[in-house]
Amino acid sequence: MAVPRLLRAGERVVPFPARPARVTPPRVTPPPPRVSLPAAAPRLYSSVPAPAAAAAARPGGKCCRAPAPSPGKEGGGSPEAGPCTPGTSERSVDDKLLSEPLSHPDFFNVKELFSLKDLFDARVHLGHKKGCRHRFMEPYIFGCRLDQDIIDLDQTMQHLQLALNFTAHIAYRKGIILFISRKRQFCHLVESTARECGEYAHTRYWQGGLLTNAHIQFGPGVRLPDLLVFLSSLNNVFEPHVAIRDAAKMNIPTVGVVDTNCNPCLITYPIPGNDDSPTAMELYCKLFRMTIIRAKDKRRQSEVFNELRSKAEGN
Amino acid sequence: MAGNRMQKIGSVFSRTRNLLRIGVIKKPLWFDVYAAFPPLREPVYRLPRPRYGKVKDVVRPIFYQEDEVRAKFYKVYGSGPRPFNLSQSNYKSTCQRFVEKFNELKEEGKIEEEKLFEETGKALLASGIILQRRGTDKVAQEDHQGVETRGSVLHLQLQTVLEEIQGKKKDQEEQTPELAETQKENPLPS
Repeated sequence: MAVPRLLRAGERVVPFPARPARVTPPRVTPPPPRVSLPAAAPRLYSSVPAPAAAAAARPGGKCCRAPAPSPGKEGGGSPEAGPCTPGTSERSVDDKLLSEPLSHPDFFNVKELFSLKDLFDARVHLGHKKGCRHRFMEPYIFGCRLDQDIIDLDQTMQHLQLALNFTAHIAYRKGIILFISRKRQFCHLVESTARECGEYAHTRYWQGGLLTNAHIQFGPGVRLPDLLVFLSSLNNVFEPHVAIRDAAKMNIPTVGVVDTNCNPCLITYPIPGNDDSPTAMELYCKLFRMTIIRAKDKRRQSEVFNELRSKAEGN
Repeated sequence: MAGNRMQKIGSVFSRTRNLLRIGVIKKPLWFDVYAAFPPLREPVYRLPRPRYGKVKDVVRPIFYQEDEVRAKFYKVYGSGPRPFNLSQSNYKSTCQRFVEKFNELKEEGKIEEEKLFEETGKALLASGIILQRRGTDKVAQEDHQGVETRGSVLHLQLQTVLEEIQGKKKDQEEQTPELAETQKENPLPS
């Protein structure tokens, strides 16, 4: 492309058709390698019988790929999804494995991961201006300092503890967790958090039928996420993210950080807090990552422990 | 495979519980966890209706006793000489020091209420913090709003500044000549 320059006296711009047309050969993209979605993302298709194992070249369109989950995971644990486990003894062990954490109020000790001072230093208490306030966020707001809403951190502590506890239990039960945030500033952070946890993230444009029309968009037998975590519950035009409504439709629980301009009604476990500051977002990402990793480690430990115990009993 | 997509009726939990009771779905992963640790508010859909009639602000404004002193400080001296350093969490701004000094002098109780403000200013000056007044030219500007040209307002500002300096020189003997120069140089922010 010629660098544009000032015209000299008497010069005229040469109109486009007069220039020799640049002929580029038509690009022929090679057809993408045929990888079945079940092979690429085995965790999402646990109920579909696995085809012949093909090398997983590219992940399925929607999710950030998790580090390869071993196929052994599907066979072992959950009696709810997947093929039925043989033998009642295994089932009772699994039941005990799953029901035991529910009896403790804080099995994964999520309370020690954060403190009020941490929340304050990360500026979680700062809300938007008075004019942006959503009516349903009023119970969570402590007060208004010179027209800026200040979120009540005592309530945030309670909500955060509940939300992290729920997330930990879901991760313990090998549920699929999907992180959603439509903030461009933090999309990389959210995706890397999901990658480190071994879970999934969706920080791009949300197509209409991703959850509600999943069996047509992703193929039959796809497993939907068991928990959606919203690190910012608004989309780019400051409206509630479509996934909140879709998750409520598909009976999927949600955990979400709600700022003072968000609608917390449909979110199962809202966390009133700031979703605009980088420090606050880093704190949330850190907390979710630590809880999920902790829960998964605990699950592995319990399984190993049970295996050893059953071997010892067997011998 | 059945389901209930009516997100505006009941919560996720109530719909799933009812479907389970009928027996059309298998128990989902999260059901027991939700039953054991329910949220503080059941996530039922509510229509975001605006308030009608006289709108009462439910959220209370946050004000402290020290805000009166702060307001007066900012009115008289403008924003302090030093910029705020927000990266330190234990940072004390000039205004904060002023307020603390004010409270100290108030607790001592030797000075009268009206003189307290000026005394705090003098005390801060003694400890090395220099405060520039900006109260007088604000008043001058309001009087001549829209009538005078910009040049004459500036002239007036400089005049008031000059008067202030002369007045201050008489009051406080600690004034250094350097300080007078700095006061002449920067036109006061308004």
